[in-house]
Amino acid sequence: MSFLKEKSKEIEEKFFSKGKPLEKLYPLFDALDTFLLTPGKITRKAPHVRDSVDIKRVMIFVVVALLPCIMLGIYNVGFQILKAQGSVGSLPEIMLKGSVKVLPIIIVTYMVGGLWEGIFAIIRKHEINEGFLVTGILFALTLPPSIPLWQVAVGISFGVVFGKEIFGGTGYNFLNPALTARAFIFFAYPAQMSGDAVWAAVDGFSQATPLAVVAASPKGASAVAALADAGYSLKQVFLGFIPGSIGETSTAACLAGLIFLLITRVASWRIIAGCVVGMFSMSSLFLLFKGPESLAFFSLPPYWHMVMGGFAFGAIFMATDPVSSSATNVGRWIYGFLIGGLVVLIRMVNPAYPEGVMLAILFMNIFAPTIDHFVVQANVNKRLKRVKAVKES
Amino acid sequence: MATYNLRKGRDINLKGKAAKEFVKLPLPKQIAIQPTDFRGLKPRLLVKIGDVVKVGTPLIVDKKHPEIKFVSSASGKVCAINRGEKRLLLEVVIETDGKQDAEKFETVGEQKLKTLTKKKVTELMLNSGLWPIIRQRPFSKVANPEDNPKSIFVRALNTDPLGPDVDFILQGKEKDFQLGVEALTHLTEGKVFVCTKKDTQIKFSATTKNIETHQFSGPHPTGNVSTHIHLLDPINKGDIVWYVEAQDVVRLGRFFTNGEYPAERVVAITGDIVKNRVYAQTIIGTPVSALLQGTALQNTRCISGSILSGKNVGKNGFLGFYDAQVTVIPEGGRREFLGWLVPGFGKYTFSHTYASAFLPEKEVSLDTDENGGHRAIVLNHLYDEYVSLDIVTYFLLKAIIAGDIEEAEKLGILECDEEDFSLCTFACPSKVDVGAIIRKGLDLIEKES
Repeated sequence: MSFLKEKSKEIEEKFFSKGKPLEKLYPLFDALDTFLLTPGKITRKAPHVRDSVDIKRVMIFVVVALLPCIMLGIYNVGFQILKAQGSVGSLPEIMLKGSVKVLPIIIVTYMVGGLWEGIFAIIRKHEINEGFLVTGILFALTLPPSIPLWQVAVGISFGVVFGKEIFGGTGYNFLNPALTARAFIFFAYPAQMSGDAVWAAVDGFSQATPLAVVAASPKGASAVAALADAGYSLKQVFLGFIPGSIGETSTAACLAGLIFLLITRVASWRIIAGCVVGMFSMSSLFLLFKGPESLAFFSLPPYWHMVMGGFAFGAIFMATDPVSSSATNVGRWIYGFLIGGLVVLIRMVNPAYPEGVMLAILFMNIFAPTIDHFVVQANVNKRLKRVKAVKES
Repeated sequence: MATYNLRKGRDINLKGKAAKEFVKLPLPKQIAIQPTDFRGLKPRLLVKIGDVVKVGTPLIVDKKHPEIKFVSSASGKVCAINRGEKRLLLEVVIETDGKQDAEKFETVGEQKLKTLTKKKVTELMLNSGLWPIIRQRPFSKVANPEDNPKSIFVRALNTDPLGPDVDFILQGKEKDFQLGVEALTHLTEGKVFVCTKKDTQIKFSATTKNIETHQFSGPHPTGNVSTHIHLLDPINKGDIVWYVEAQDVVRLGRFFTNGEYPAERVVAITGDIVKNRVYAQTIIGTPVSALLQGTALQNTRCISGSILSGKNVGKNGFLGFYDAQVTVIPEGGRREFLGWLVPGFGKYTFSHTYASAFLPEKEVSLDTDENGGHRAIVLNHLYDEYVSLDIVTYFLLKAIIAGDIEEAEKLGILECDEEDFSLCTFACPSKVDVGAIIRKGLDLIEKES
C-alpha cells in the first residue's frame, strides 16, 4: 500500500495542510484518507500502547448488525408491494421491487445526513464522525416504505442538526438522533407516517398493521382472535412478512443482529435485558387485570407484544445508543426496564398512538441523566459515610 | 493480614519478560538526576559544570522546601546541565570517576533505630537525600516533611505489563527491608501497610503492632498503590497518605546500617526486541543505553517504566528516579489499507471486534500506534471495568472537564492518580486520554487549595 500512502501524503501536503488552498476542507480529506488507510498516528506519552479497536470499527459493526434487518426489510417491502398487487414474485423480482423503494431512501439519508455532518466538521474543525453511518441507516429503517424522499431529507436534517450537532456532535447529544429525526416527521407529516395506507408502497392500498388491528378491536374482544381474523399468525409476525416500517417488521432479523452485537460486545446487554423484563412485567400486569370491559390490548400476551411493532428493533438498536442512554450499569437496567414498561403503557393507554417504542425511548433519553444522578449519588454517599465514620471514631 | 482477590482490570500479556537472573553491570560513564521525575518540583540548582561531587552530594533542592535535597548517586564531576523550553531544568548529568566516594552521614545501627523519634528519622533522611523516596497521596508528589500522614504504604508488588517481580528483587535483602519498614513506623502515628502479592516469598515479619502486611492477587491495576490505599485506609478530603516503593525501603534500611547514600537499583530489562533481558544491578539515574547494550534501537521507543505508566526517555535518556523497569517496544505509524474491515487475527484488543479476541490468549507484541482517530467519548461503559477503585469514571471525567472541582472531589478524585486509568485510555475506542483528564483535575485542585 506504499503507493496509496505516498499519494495521500502528497495530496495532503499539496492541498489540505496548513496554509494550503483547501485547508478548511481538511475534515473531508481526513475522512477519505482514514477510510482507506488507518491513521498511523503514534502515542506521545503513557500509556504508550493502544487497543486495536477504534470508533470506525465499532460503528461499522453496528451497521453490520443491521444487515439482516436491511436485507429482510428490502425483501418485505417488495413482497408487500407484490402482495398488494395480487401477484407472487420470484426472489429476484421481490428484491428488485424492494430495492427500488428502499435504496433511494437510504441513499438520500446518507447524502443529506453526510452533508450536514461534513458542514459541521468543517465549521467546527473536527473529524467527521462515523456515528452518522449508524444514525442514517437506523433512521431509514424506521420509515414507512411509501415516504416521499423530500420528507426523508427534511427528517434526517432535523435529526442530525437539532438532535446532535447543535449539542456538539456525536458523543454530546442527549437524544437519539435517528429517533429525533423520526419523531419530527412523525408529528410534522402524520399523513405520510401513520395510518393504514402507508405501509405497503402501493398507491390506494391500505392494510392495518398488527398493532392497529389490536387497537381497533372492540372492548372486551380477544386480541389474539382479532389478529387471527386479520390474517396475522405469530410466526408470520415474528419473521416480519407484514406491513410496517422498512426494517422493523422482522423480530427474527433483529435477533440475528442482536446475536452479532452480543458476541462482539458492542451493545449493552443490560439495556436490552431491561427492556425485555420491563415489557414482560408490564404486559403481564395488564393481562392479570384484564376484565370483560377492558381494551382488547389487555388480552394481548407478552410474547405478542415482543414481536409486534418496533419493539425488538428499538430495544436492540435504538435504546442501546451509549451516548443517549444511561451511563451506569444499575442505571442501564432501570432505563431499559422503564422503556419496556412505557412501550406497553403507550400502546394500551394512549389509543392515539398504537405504537409507543419511539416515544418511550425518547422519553427515557430525557430521563437517563436523572437515573444516573441517583446511581452516582449512591457512590458519593458511600464516600460521605466513610468520612462520617472517621469523625465519629 | 488479609488477602484481597481482585477481579477488575486486565493484564496485557506482553512478550519479552526479564529472565530471573541478576547481572551486575559495570558502573555507567554518566548518571543523571532529573527534576521532572518529581511531580510539581520547583528545583534550585546547587552545582555548576565542573563541580566535583560524591555519592550523596546535593545537586538540587526544592525551592519551596529547601530542606529536601536531591543528591548524586555517583562520584565524579558535573558535566552537563540540560534545560528544555522556558529554561526548565531537565537533567543534571554527572560524569562518573569510578571511585564511588561517598559522603558520610550518621550511622544509626539496628538497635538504636528502634528508639529514634520522627524528628530524628526525618532529619537523617533529609540530610542524606533519601527523603524523596517518600511520596504522598493525593497528588503523587514528594512528601512534605512537616505533614503527619495517617498511614504509610510500602508497595512490594508490581502488576504492570512485564513489571519487575518484587519478590525476586528483594531476595537476600530482607534484613534491610525489615529495617527500612521499621524506620518508616517512626514517621506516622498510624499504620505502615506492607502490600505484597499473594503467597509472597518475601521473608518479613510485622515486628511492631503498627505494621500490617496484606496480600493482593488479580489483574493490573491491582498492584497500584491507589488500589491498596482505597481498600485499606481510603483517603478522605484533607487526609494525607505516604507511600514508598519496596526497593527504596531496602535502600532506607541499608542507609541506617552504614550511613551512606545507597545508590543501588535493580532494574528489570524488558521488551521482546531487547537482547539481554535480565534483572540488572546498577545505580540510580543510570542511562538506559547502558542497560540496553547490544540491542538495535532504531525506530524503537525506550520507556523508563512500563508501557502503561512509564516515561518515553529516548535512547539517550536516563532511568527515572522511582523506576525499576526499562521497556523497549517498536514505534508504530503503520498505515493499513481498509484497517477497519480486516478480520484481525493478529490484532490485540480488549474488545471483541477482532478475530484475535476469540483465539486462545497468548503473549503479544505491541507498538506505539494509536490504532485510530480521536473522537468524543462514545462507549462510556468500558472505563469502570478497567479501574480497580470504586469510582464512576465517566462521571468523574465529566465533572473535571466541566471544571466542577467540588463534584470531582465527591466522586473520589483525591483517591486517584493518572496511572490508575491507563487501561481505560488503552481500551477507549475514541482514543481519549483518560489519565490526562484525571491529572488535569488533580492539578486544578492542587492549584486552588
